[in-house]
Amino acid sequence: MTGPIDITWKEEYFLIVMASKVVLIRGKGVLTGGGDIDQKKLLSMYNRGIQILMDNQNPKDSLRLIFKNSDRLGIKINTIAGRKLSSRPEVSYSLASLLQDGGIQPKNIIIWDRTNRELREAGYRLNLNRGGIKVIGTDTKGFGYDSQLTSYLNIGSLFSSIQSNKITASISLAILKDHGMAGVTAGMKNYFGAVHNPNKYHDFNCNPFVAELFETKFIKQKHKLSILDSLIVQYHRGPSYHARWAEKYEALIFSLDPVAADYVGWQVIEKLRAKKGLASLKEEKRAPVYLKTAEKMGLGKASPEEIKIIEEDV
Amino acid sequence: MKRRQFFKTAGGATFLASAGLMNQTSTFPAFLMDLYALGEEANLSKVEARYYKKHPDREIECTLCPRFCKLGDKERGYCGVRENIGGTYYTLVYGKACSIALDPIEKKPLFHYLPKSSALSIATAGCNVNCKFCQNWEISQVRPEQIQNYDFPPGAVVKTAKKYRCAVIAYTYTEPVVFYEYMYDTSLEARKKGVRTAVITGGHINPEPMEDLTKVVDAIKIDLKAFSQDFYTKYVRGELQPVLDAIKIVHKSSAWLELVYLVIPNLNDSSDEIRKMCQWIVKEIGPDVPVHFSKFVPMYLVKNLPPTPVSTLEKVHKIALEEGIRYVYIGNVPGHSAESTYCPNCKKIVIERRGYSIGKIALKGGKCKYCDNPIPGIWI
Repeated sequence: MTGPIDITWKEEYFLIVMASKVVLIRGKGVLTGGGDIDQKKLLSMYNRGIQILMDNQNPKDSLRLIFKNSDRLGIKINTIAGRKLSSRPEVSYSLASLLQDGGIQPKNIIIWDRTNRELREAGYRLNLNRGGIKVIGTDTKGFGYDSQLTSYLNIGSLFSSIQSNKITASISLAILKDHGMAGVTAGMKNYFGAVHNPNKYHDFNCNPFVAELFETKFIKQKHKLSILDSLIVQYHRGPSYHARWAEKYEALIFSLDPVAADYVGWQVIEKLRAKKGLASLKEEKRAPVYLKTAEKMGLGKASPEEIKIIEEDV
Repeated sequence: MKRRQFFKTAGGATFLASAGLMNQTSTFPAFLMDLYALGEEANLSKVEARYYKKHPDREIECTLCPRFCKLGDKERGYCGVRENIGGTYYTLVYGKACSIALDPIEKKPLFHYLPKSSALSIATAGCNVNCKFCQNWEISQVRPEQIQNYDFPPGAVVKTAKKYRCAVIAYTYTEPVVFYEYMYDTSLEARKKGVRTAVITGGHINPEPMEDLTKVVDAIKIDLKAFSQDFYTKYVRGELQPVLDAIKIVHKSSAWLELVYLVIPNLNDSSDEIRKMCQWIVKEIGPDVPVHFSKFVPMYLVKNLPPTPVSTLEKVHKIALEEGIRYVYIGNVPGHSAESTYCPNCKKIVIERRGYSIGKIALKGGKCKYCDNPIPGIWI
């Protein structure tokens, strides 16, 4: 097959076969008693998640279905809540390592978030090494925010130049959390950290802002994969860390459908809340209604009957 | 070069440098947004906010403005310049000015308040609304760490105003409500030293902080952005009623009050809306509060509309006069006859203006020189 035909085939394959598949991989013991991460177990979780998601036994080949070798890849993490409730360096680096195995050159991988301070506080060592994987905040000299405003529907923002210019493909590696205003913060809302003014998008349960921001060209055209870091899930009083309401859930959630991934994340939070005797987010009038908006905009599925969830323990 | 020319041409950073106040590491130009990152150390304050409630689990509720932001640990308010750090709410912009300049007081605009005086004008980053037509969005709609800030504590502000013979310190350009503590303390200090103050605000603030503010400042200009909640919802992201309440609070206080209404074609320029607003003004705060109707220029997120035609401004000006408002002005149209102040009794010009320039002033002891009719205002 020639290139263009191959690309068409891939697009159809994603849209028809796998668009709303969500894979939830549990790795009991991935968080060790001492609070460290069992690296081997974590890698198994990643491998298995990608394999199931792409219906392919070989994780390297699976990743090639998602990314091109020439891609400059951004892994957008969320480190706002500090060391106890951010994607740990081990989680990000393991993913980066898997991507390297899949053919992405290390120099083309950027692990990033809003600020260097938040990255450091979450345990990351900043790295601008030209040849290796970069770990940087938008406020790193030479990066920063765009000078041109991106205006789309209700969105008016300056994008992080990492998201707009430095990368060609993006993974949202988000922490799964309850959120006082949005209801749930996961893969889509993680991109609030890609613009200069996220504080302006929290009215009305963040609706329609989460969906509309996601639909901007710099996100919609580049986002390829959602991974919800659910090793620890803050199911109440988020997005800040509260040990009392943080569950050691030890799971990773994968999907090519950003809306479906977040929908499943929401259900995880609701189950944990119910288990602990807490009111549902709907009862607290903060259900993540932006998911329905996103579905209406054609960004993915937020209806349970249209989402295929595959759960597995490793 | 005269002092004013110097300030106008060189900009605030040079001004600050000349005053010996600029951080040595700061670089020119100071007032332009640094579109690239500033590096590792953002210049932020950590001063406890005045108006908020503490809740369990390190949560807080801001009570400064009608948004009542409820925030968990490490979260920022809608304004982007206040942060919950471990259950205590802090302002990050206390004494951290991002814009500093000398302006004529007419630029604010304040027309019945110390005409011809200079105002040392300061702002910090941030705003508690998000007007889609904001003229200063590069500093109002950003977080403080995204632009250059200068250490300019209250004492230094007042000292600088005195040094450069500014009769007024004006809190302006962005939204002073979000730097309330800085503004409040500066005003206290200014009053001690005989310098007056003026607040240029959208009035999106709760009653208690507004009442407290009126006790320490001398003049407040409020931007009434429309007279419909629908407009406030769609184009301001705020509430109309708290602004109306704030206007009434200022009117009852000793602070001088003026209103500005930016007339935007097709959005807030209907005769019906203007007439209702004018009727409200006359009924609630009387006919003597000056009202400025300003010309809109396409900006920020509203670039699809034309500038306000002068004919529209003249239409709303006429409506305001018909409804009994005595001091009605047209703004952003230099040279228009409605820039000047007319005595409502003898109809003669008592303050002649062209742009920010003042011509003759025909006032004597706060009264029209020609007919002795009192003209409300704070006059020199």
